[in-house]
Amino acid sequence: MNEFSTWDILRNLGFGALWTIGLSLTAFVLGGSAGLLLLTARMSKKVWLQRAARAYIEFFQGTPLLMQLFMVFFGIALLGVDVPPWLAAALGLTLFSSAYLAEIWRGCVEAIPKGQWEASASLAMTWLEQMRHVILPQALRIAVAPTVGFSVQIVKGTAVTSIIGFAELTKTGSMLANATFQPFMVFGFVALGYFILCYPLSHFAAHLERKFHAPAH
Amino acid sequence: MLLRIDGLHKHFGANHVLKGIDLRIDEGQVVAIIGRSGSGKSTLLRSINGLETFDDGLIEVDGERLYAGQTDLRALRQKVGMVFQQFNLFPHLSAGQNVMLAPQVVKKTPVAECETIARAMLAKVGLAEKFDAYPDQLSGGQQQRVAIARALAMQPKVLLCDEITSALDPELVNEVLAVVKQLASEGMTLIMVTHEMRFAREVGDKLVFMYQGRVHESGHPKDLFASPQTPELQNFIGAIN
Repeated sequence: MNEFSTWDILRNLGFGALWTIGLSLTAFVLGGSAGLLLLTARMSKKVWLQRAARAYIEFFQGTPLLMQLFMVFFGIALLGVDVPPWLAAALGLTLFSSAYLAEIWRGCVEAIPKGQWEASASLAMTWLEQMRHVILPQALRIAVAPTVGFSVQIVKGTAVTSIIGFAELTKTGSMLANATFQPFMVFGFVALGYFILCYPLSHFAAHLERKFHAPAH
Repeated sequence: MLLRIDGLHKHFGANHVLKGIDLRIDEGQVVAIIGRSGSGKSTLLRSINGLETFDDGLIEVDGERLYAGQTDLRALRQKVGMVFQQFNLFPHLSAGQNVMLAPQVVKKTPVAECETIARAMLAKVGLAEKFDAYPDQLSGGQQQRVAIARALAMQPKVLLCDEITSALDPELVNEVLAVVKQLASEGMTLIMVTHEMRFAREVGDKLVFMYQGRVHESGHPKDLFASPQTPELQNFIGAIN
């Protein structure tokens, strides 16, 4: 059973990488949606909503992702609900991403000059109308590059979910390393796998940053 | 009477910036507010559409009342348009879209009708052909005229102008003032904080001189410029000329 060819290793790692991609996409999409709600709460005029969002963001920014995953994985299990690793991983990463994305986007919203708020207010728009038609369309332009940049953090963050037993790229790698006794080669491939996923994203972010740097339409 | 301000007080922390302003403005009047920086003239103007809160007093525009601490400003703001020193056009929208946005979103006017309004307003400020241009493709004077068209599209009862020519290159000032003058001749009620004394004298019906948070002197511009009653206004006019 030690007869793993390099091809077998790569094939299995490729399969693990698919889970990494799936988990990253899930965390990005769900985290982004939750992040948008969080952003609205964070910028709301209702003080309790603002505080709650801030506490949430500070908690998830101030604790390691690993602890957050443990809390989701073991915490929900305490309630008598059995959480499969993939669900705990997706939920944990979603919570984590939403906190960071909300904060990145808040910075972008706050970068919009005060005059834009005043002009739209003087036209009798409500807060939501101002956000929807004036502030967010402009903030979005600034947000694209850092958001894509953060997606790299999400991809790398998925590695942590291997600890709760989710068989993504890293977990697949450690299983193969145990089976083949060739940890250096296996983890070399694992690292290469992450690089192949992240490098284009980083480049894409840098490209977007250049593209959106000058105001255009 | 279109606009009434009674006993308006405002503090910025310990700084008492408006110390009981009373003002009456009739429909169709062109009012120029002048005074040194820090005299409270911009704060007064910005109070009229609720961009600044105030601590005591009352503002009434065409029957819409605004009290200290009021948060629902929608009805009032539909009657009060504003043009800013820095234009504040929405950079992601074309000139036409800038003008269409508020009627469409706030008044729920059908898009086709909004476009008709926007084209008419842009034509009024002499920019009919710039409907599809974006703000960064326009000169400062053109941007400010779009900003005027944008405010007019909401059909306000009164238009507030906050030093609208101060950020412009000198050669662009006149094209904006010409638009304002035309509005005045059409009977638009205008309240402008301005440093354009000659314009205030020519076009204004009423001059308000602010000094240390109070209306120090007010009256017809021609009278005030010819014979200022207080030493402060004499000083101020002297310093300008």
